Amino acid sequence: MKIKINAPISTAIAIGVGIIVLAGYFIPSMDNIRLILLRTGLVLAAVALLAGIVNLVTVHIGKMGKESENSGYSLILLISLAITLIVGIVDMVQTYLVGRPNFQITNWVFTNIQLPIETSLLAVTTISLTYAAAGILRKRMNMFSISFFFVVLLVLLGSFSIPPATIPFLQVIRDWILQVPALGGARGLLLGIALGTITTGIRILMGTDRPYGG
Amino acid sequence: MSATGFTGIAVVVLFVVLMIAFSIIHKDRKSSLIRPIAAYKKIEKEINVSVEDGTQLHISLGRGGIIGPDSAAGLAGLSLLKQVINKSSMCDHPPIVSTGNAVLSILAQDTIRGSSQAISLTDQRKSPSGELIGVTPFSYAAGTLTTIRDDNVSANVHTGWFGNEIIWLTTAGERQSSPTIAGTAQLPAQAVIYASASDPLIGEELYASGAYLGAGKMHEASISAQDVIRWIIVFLILASVLFNLIGFNTFIEEILAGSM
Repeated sequence: MKIKINAPISTAIAIGVGIIVLAGYFIPSMDNIRLILLRTGLVLAAVALLAGIVNLVTVHIGKMGKESENSGYSLILLISLAITLIVGIVDMVQTYLVGRPNFQITNWVFTNIQLPIETSLLAVTTISLTYAAAGILRKRMNMFSISFFFVVLLVLLGSFSIPPATIPFLQVIRDWILQVPALGGARGLLLGIALGTITTGIRILMGTDRPYGG
Repeated sequence: MSATGFTGIAVVVLFVVLMIAFSIIHKDRKSSLIRPIAAYKKIEKEINVSVEDGTQLHISLGRGGIIGPDSAAGLAGLSLLKQVINKSSMCDHPPIVSTGNAVLSILAQDTIRGSSQAISLTDQRKSPSGELIGVTPFSYAAGTLTTIRDDNVSANVHTGWFGNEIIWLTTAGERQSSPTIAGTAQLPAQAVIYASASDPLIGEELYASGAYLGAGKMHEASISAQDVIRWIIVFLILASVLFNLIGFNTFIEEILAGSM
């Protein structure tokens, strides 16, 4: 008979560590143990990143083997990953030889490749957000969508800062919307999220919810 | 122990007691008392569609880790993944899973492995993957687009920790004419989801997947416990407003200051 021992062990570790960390927030004398466990978690998260990169490489090597239209992207990803890795290693060796932080090539890669790409993607996001706001009435024509649409319009109209587009009355309405209904709604949502977070945590601590292999 | 610490413990204990009490009360109840949420009904419908059509669900779990405020959203996404795998055991093609965090990726693979064994989905070719797509918001969103555009994906479920980059995922789903169910814990991204997803999960609805997808009585009990605490909060807010109006708070402050 095959006895499955991994599940109870992982569940016991998850519940035990969870209870100690939670108690550490409330009981000052347990704060040191909480910090030790959190630091251990951070180190494990860094190791998990390495495992994740291995997973990423494995998946994309697999994708390159298939006759897929996206196999070219996988090749670009693997080449970029290899180049960045080599650049990082070269910089680390230089840092070791010089005796002070020297990450010139890595900085160049981030400043001249990563930053412009992310900035252009942010610009695309702005356009996509405008498109989504404009299309909400087409998607769901109900009272909430109509009020959502007109509140967006009012806030945008009240945000103009260059005369003659500035309309004081709209600015007053915008400030009122942001400070009263929007702030109240955001607080209500945050309360709901906090309650949901607490119940999720308690379910995991009680072992009734095991979002892992246990 | 400080007053804050004592209050924290009291809240946790109250939650635990309420959850246990409601699970005992609801033990023999056949029908559910929780309000219907369209997004979860849609997930169940899409699971059935994928079984009939031989298509796949795509579940993206976001960028939440296990340390920090983003962890609960990530864990809620994993809980939903577990339920979806359990319910889609009859599918020809199991769900595709994508994540934007290494730890979440490992936990997703672990969940998939555990659930696949539990439902005897031992054929590795059939087992769903838990792929790490990218570790920055935009790399994750851009990498996930190829999965959404896959013709065999019938619906997309995005639950977890997302920022405004989720607009890429929801609009890509819309262009493919595939239903998009989305929920996140970030407030600005919730507004984005409301405007762009066909079935949004707003606020605490993100954390309620277990209760709506049949994970057990304790999940339903936790929703009831949440409602009780919500009423207590409403009462406290109204009481504090009333005290402010009648000047009772000033009276208390003066007593505490010793000026009377």
